[in-house]
Amino acid sequence: MESVETLAISGAVWEKDLLEDTSVRQLVLEHYDREQLSLRKYVGFLGIDPETSREIVQETFLKLQEHLLAGGDQTNLRAWLYRVAHNLTRNSQVAFRSSKTDLLADVTVAGDPPARAESAERELLERERLSGVNAAIRRLSAAQRGCLVLRAQGLKYREIAEVLNLSISTVGENIQRGLEKLKEML
Amino acid sequence: MNMPGHLANDVLIRALDDELPPTEAAAVELHLSCCEECRRRSAGFRSLSIHIESLVASGPECGVGEREILARKLESQAPLSRVHAGSPKLKRALGWALALAACLAVIATLAPRPNAPAKPASAALAQVQSGTFEVDGESFISLPYSNPDLPATAAHIVQMQVPVASLTAAGIIFEPVSNGAASSDRSVLADVLLGMDGQPLGVHVLSFD
Repeated sequence: MESVETLAISGAVWEKDLLEDTSVRQLVLEHYDREQLSLRKYVGFLGIDPETSREIVQETFLKLQEHLLAGGDQTNLRAWLYRVAHNLTRNSQVAFRSSKTDLLADVTVAGDPPARAESAERELLERERLSGVNAAIRRLSAAQRGCLVLRAQGLKYREIAEVLNLSISTVGENIQRGLEKLKEML
Repeated sequence: MNMPGHLANDVLIRALDDELPPTEAAAVELHLSCCEECRRRSAGFRSLSIHIESLVASGPECGVGEREILARKLESQAPLSRVHAGSPKLKRALGWALALAACLAVIATLAPRPNAPAKPASAALAQVQSGTFEVDGESFISLPYSNPDLPATAAHIVQMQVPVASLTAAGIIFEPVSNGAASSDRSVLADVLLGMDGQPLGVHVLSFD
């Protein structure tokens, strides 16, 4: 009798866990759909090649599942994702001393090749402008670059501080100094 | 760079980023409405910010099939994560199961019996032959229900009527010819040794009904 009851309880737990796993997985994939591209861009700006960026982003979402299954805090998962991606990137840089790659190598220009010279010229100017900003950003300190890229991704100062383990005032200073330097360089 | 009579860069940037308290933001708006120099500097920071956003937005696109790869990894990882994470819910459920088993054991121990009362198994278990062991000189046929790694000193003996079907399920078969106990609806009086987890460690059949 005891064993039957225990088995019945175990069965219920198992079924509940399966449901829980499924809903957690669904939640992780929803976050993936929303954030993966931004995360990859952020990781790319930290100097990681595209293939490693993809791996880091996948690892980040696997860790998100672990975090959720362990009953981790869910108050700001977006900032949590960036923080984990940031830390994984740092680990990767330490481990492999990954060579920095130019983000523009991964930049794709939407649409067919321009039919008119005017369009081609605009596109070229746009590309040069982006190339100049990219080169200038890469000359900033890692903290300034990280703060500016996260800011461009739409994170608030409080979230950036959480991701980079900085105080909010330090985030503000990094953004200010980064923008001032960029203005001088461009 | 701060200029007397003008807003500092950090204030202009925080205003652009909606990071100022409402009253300070209103004061900045008021100042900008009447200061050409600050408007020009603010527009410069705004333009630069838009350039950075464009650059960040022009990054790599998602590779085909990456989502499916992740979905497969998540599926294979989930049970492992649960084990590593030690899900509180699972722990709670196991706790309840153990508590239930313990309660049943206590009930069985305290239930009135006409025969000998429960005896503590203070002596260490002594294996005498394969499948049997002794406790204080009494032989028991080992049962596979209790965790053998738990301390044997916490085990105790309960005398109870045990259905033959239960013993059969545990691999203890009665000879149908020599006695009438083989019938599955019969029960036998037995000393049952309960482990620390409340599950049977062994059984010693005393008599048939």
